[in-house]
Amino acid sequence: MSVPALEVIELSKTYFGAAEPVEAVKGATFSAAAGEFLAIVGPSGSGKTTLLAMIGGLLSPMSGTVRVDGVAIDRLDARKLAAFRRRRVGFVFQSNNLIPYLTARENLLLMADIGGVDRKTARVRADRLLDELGLAHRANALATELSGGERQRVAIARALMNDPALILVDEPTAALDSARGRQVVESLKAEIKSRNKLGIMVTHDLAMAALTDRILEMHDGVLRELSPTASME
Amino acid sequence: MLGLLELRRRRLQFTLIGLIVTLISYLVAMINGLGLGLNELAGSALRNFDADAIAYAETSGLSVIRSELSQDTIDAILSTPGVREGAPLGYVAANVRYPDGTIDNAAFLGFDPGTIAEPRVVEGRSLEPGERGVMLADRAFLRASGYRLGDTVPVALRLQTREFRIVGVVEEGYFFFQPAVYISRSDWRELRYGQADDAPVASIVLLKGKGLPGTRAPGFEIVDKGTAFANIEGVAGQQSTVSALRAFGYLIGALVVGVFFYVLTLQKVPHIGVLKALGASNSYVFRQLLAQVLTVSVLGLAVALPLALATGRAIQRLPNPVPIAFDTRTVATTAVLLLVASLVGAAFSLRRILGTDPIIALGQQQ
Repeated sequence: MSVPALEVIELSKTYFGAAEPVEAVKGATFSAAAGEFLAIVGPSGSGKTTLLAMIGGLLSPMSGTVRVDGVAIDRLDARKLAAFRRRRVGFVFQSNNLIPYLTARENLLLMADIGGVDRKTARVRADRLLDELGLAHRANALATELSGGERQRVAIARALMNDPALILVDEPTAALDSARGRQVVESLKAEIKSRNKLGIMVTHDLAMAALTDRILEMHDGVLRELSPTASME
Repeated sequence: MLGLLELRRRRLQFTLIGLIVTLISYLVAMINGLGLGLNELAGSALRNFDADAIAYAETSGLSVIRSELSQDTIDAILSTPGVREGAPLGYVAANVRYPDGTIDNAAFLGFDPGTIAEPRVVEGRSLEPGERGVMLADRAFLRASGYRLGDTVPVALRLQTREFRIVGVVEEGYFFFQPAVYISRSDWRELRYGQADDAPVASIVLLKGKGLPGTRAPGFEIVDKGTAFANIEGVAGQQSTVSALRAFGYLIGALVVGVFFYVLTLQKVPHIGVLKALGASNSYVFRQLLAQVLTVSVLGLAVALPLALATGRAIQRLPNPVPIAFDTRTVATTAVLLLVASLVGAAFSLRRILGTDPIIALGQQQ
């Protein structure tokens, strides 16, 4: 039996602030295979972004394990976690987080530079991705000159630059209208499927979640499988 | 990649920082130039002596003014083990009447032609052995006085006036903050002591040889040229002031550059968080900052140092020039130290980079 691309086992996280401790994630458990596109839905403060951050190696869990291709990332030190994110994870952030003074192509080349990909390969890869996402004509536009939808599609292309196994997406449509949001998520899904990646998207928008293969719901830190998305469409 | 691209794209911001670096570098270079200029005024002629060491009278406290040597002491100095070559030299400050009637003083150095005390003549000729009433004048003396090669210079000392004809020009600079002129040792002795037979025959002895500095014997002591220079009256205090100015220049340079790049780093914390979330290592992020610091500093120095050299040249053309000088060593040292100061300043930002949590990329608090 093949190892799942991602295994999340009894994952918990508690924040200790000035007030009483907050259990953001309580024993989340699920697994997913390459080629799947999952949505994690839930209201604000339900713990879905915290769960995403732990899967992506940005936060350390209090307990539990995250395994990516069989490797427990919660046991890696900061340097190895950075290398894990560099090679195995592609992030698409809520506010896209493109570097504003770089062009669309340079934002992609930056990712390759961080990943140690040689320049020639990186240029070919960046141009292909921009072309696939319908952004070839905007390659030399600064990030600040792009529309919201274009910025998110550049962020998707950036996430794919280093050919990661895992694409983690945080509220990609929060700043977009529904038509543009749908376009972005469909582009994302197409890329994940065509490249056989595992995609996990955090969203509070059930219409966007319905575009994925599976929906997991977070509520007060508790994760549960909602239903097959086919039934929602 | 990122650091240099940011430099190009945020040109105004980095130009302003570059301007600050340029001004600081210019200030430090000018302080160094003025310090070196003061040094030259203090005694470039002494530094230019063709000697490894200098012998003073034991009781002089290494003062050329107070050092007086008899022929017996000079013979003892020249027979010191390790001495390969030596030449006695006399010094006296005397008043000179300039062509326009003003009176100023000059350093009269008495030497024997054909010895290591003889300066290099760049125009005219040197003194013949036994020749009296002639002098070699430094260009600084000619510039200050208005005299030219071939002119006769009235020199006043000990209630009498003597005349010396300028037969050669040298470029040895200043001695004891006065332009240097060179006369025969016989003329020097007469100028300083009159006709007295038992008068000292020299002030100091220039020596060539190995292992001489540090030698003490009855009647004399030998030091290297650096020690001799530092013992010129007023030089030690002047040197410590100039050194303090230089040190503060470097310190302020490091602080200013450091603070600017630290503020820049603070502004970029969200981007640093994103870079780290994307997998950039701390060293990758720091390398981007270093590339920016080095580029801005090198460009700042590339503008500031030629500007300082040009300012120095312009100042020297003024009717009353301020002592300022630059040499390759000082310019290179200034450049290297300012670069190091910039890097030290940039290191302030390292802690902020190390402390940036990539989780901020997800909009969460650290």
